[in-house]
Amino acid sequence: MRLPEGKWLDVDSIRTRYYEAGQGEPIVFIYGGNFGTGDSASSAYTWSENLLPLSEHFRAIVFDKAGQGETDNPKNDDYTMAAVVRHAGAFIRAMKLPPVHLVGHSRGGYAATRLALENHDLVKSLTVVNSGTLSPGIGTNEVVLAKPPYPAGTPECVRWVYQNYSFNPDVVTDEWVDAVMFTLAIPKYQESVRKMGAEKLGTKLFLPQLAREKRETLQWLNEGRLQRPVQVIWGFDDRTAVIDRGIELYNMFARHERRALFHVINQSGHFPFREHPKRFNALMRRWVESIA
Amino acid sequence: MMVFIHGGVPGITPYASGPHIWGPLPKNARTVSVSGQTVDAMTQSVRKAIEGKCHLVGHDLGGLLALNLAIEAPQLVSAVTAVASVAAAPSGDGVPNTTLAHPPKPLGSRESQRWALERVSYSHAHVSEELVDACVAAAAKQSPMTLKAYEDEFVPSVMKAKSRFYEVCRTDGIKVPCQVIWGSHDPLTTLDQGLWLFRGLAQKQRVAQFHVINRAGALPFREEPAAFFQVLNAFADGI
Repeated sequence: MRLPEGKWLDVDSIRTRYYEAGQGEPIVFIYGGNFGTGDSASSAYTWSENLLPLSEHFRAIVFDKAGQGETDNPKNDDYTMAAVVRHAGAFIRAMKLPPVHLVGHSRGGYAATRLALENHDLVKSLTVVNSGTLSPGIGTNEVVLAKPPYPAGTPECVRWVYQNYSFNPDVVTDEWVDAVMFTLAIPKYQESVRKMGAEKLGTKLFLPQLAREKRETLQWLNEGRLQRPVQVIWGFDDRTAVIDRGIELYNMFARHERRALFHVINQSGHFPFREHPKRFNALMRRWVESIA
Repeated sequence: MMVFIHGGVPGITPYASGPHIWGPLPKNARTVSVSGQTVDAMTQSVRKAIEGKCHLVGHDLGGLLALNLAIEAPQLVSAVTAVASVAAAPSGDGVPNTTLAHPPKPLGSRESQRWALERVSYSHAHVSEELVDACVAAAAKQSPMTLKAYEDEFVPSVMKAKSRFYEVCRTDGIKVPCQVIWGSHDPLTTLDQGLWLFRGLAQKQRVAQFHVINRAGALPFREEPAAFFQVLNAFADGI
């Protein structure tokens, strides 16, 4: 399934790519990953199995995060998660949306939660999907995805990475690989790869800042600051963010929020919304209807 | 069509369960009354009561009956939802659960029914006069299982049914989509037991899901009906 025709929006001087369809309650999706990775690259395409089916009931919106997909890189070399969260909040404001149903996956689950914690007025509900970045404890990406057996930036490498994220390797279609290769080939994306790798902004700036702010984010969640309905959806067979981490995250939310649900989908790795889109979309539809 | 199967053993479970326990149900749903002294006999009572292919929604013991019927006659079952099904969940060498150990006597009284319903819940808010009335009326109508029948026939039949169920999960797999719904604060069980029930199902059945409803005990469909039916309907939509 493909996305509708893309549009452009100036968001605080960052040219931002986004896709939208449908009418009604707004759902905004935030995908995972981060700028500057050379062996994989997320983009709005990540939600290609969800945007149009959910647009039959709601106004569904996917945007490329700062530095990812086709959106401009962060200004002034601010290659931080804080810049990504700021840009995401600014995007929702620039779109003049009423409070949205925010859906974040993986690193996008962290960004969505942080955005909600800093901008309650923008968010009606939160859905977090397989987010090792947000959940307490450590991620196992570096174990599962260590040193792909193909050169970085090749289709073979991309396919290997996403197949190892997934339960069923067949879900990694040529179309998915092509979408990743398209992003990897964009000159501004290659610049982010240089910044994060050769110029070491990944290890000097991005990761330490994320670690500090993650501590703060978890403290805020433990203090009950989220104050919005929340659901956690987890692919049962994700080896990079295992089920125990989803349970721990759900328990943090549920301590303070009555409207907290936890859903586990079998035979799914890191991307349950791509491996089982019909059931994921059904959970999303019933969730938004229940909150709306 | 969804068919709702209650749990509970008359005379043994301190609150009198029955079709009334579900509360208001959607139009495409109906309930069955379970009868019999063993899991197999109870399963037959469900089988006789259903017409056509149904999504079976079973609470506690009713969940085990639904799974048993899905093994025996998958052609009659489109999906199974097991709700707070302590009866179907693994329990190996656990310590006794004392939540309902000392009910006020007599068991069928309003005081006793209210006591038990409150004890198995996260909050007493759902235990209305109407529910207590329905439980008292059900208790008066039920033929209580004797302790001898419970020990000699019923408990061994549960162990046999569970053993068969987990063998099928490991070998051929349950042939229909299955989901497990658990209350986050169920005093009769742990979240881990619910997750292990799901793990059993998930071994061979691709379409398997596990859900937790927050601030609910052993009767999540009563305490959080909106969340319960949201999850139930999403599963039906998705399969």
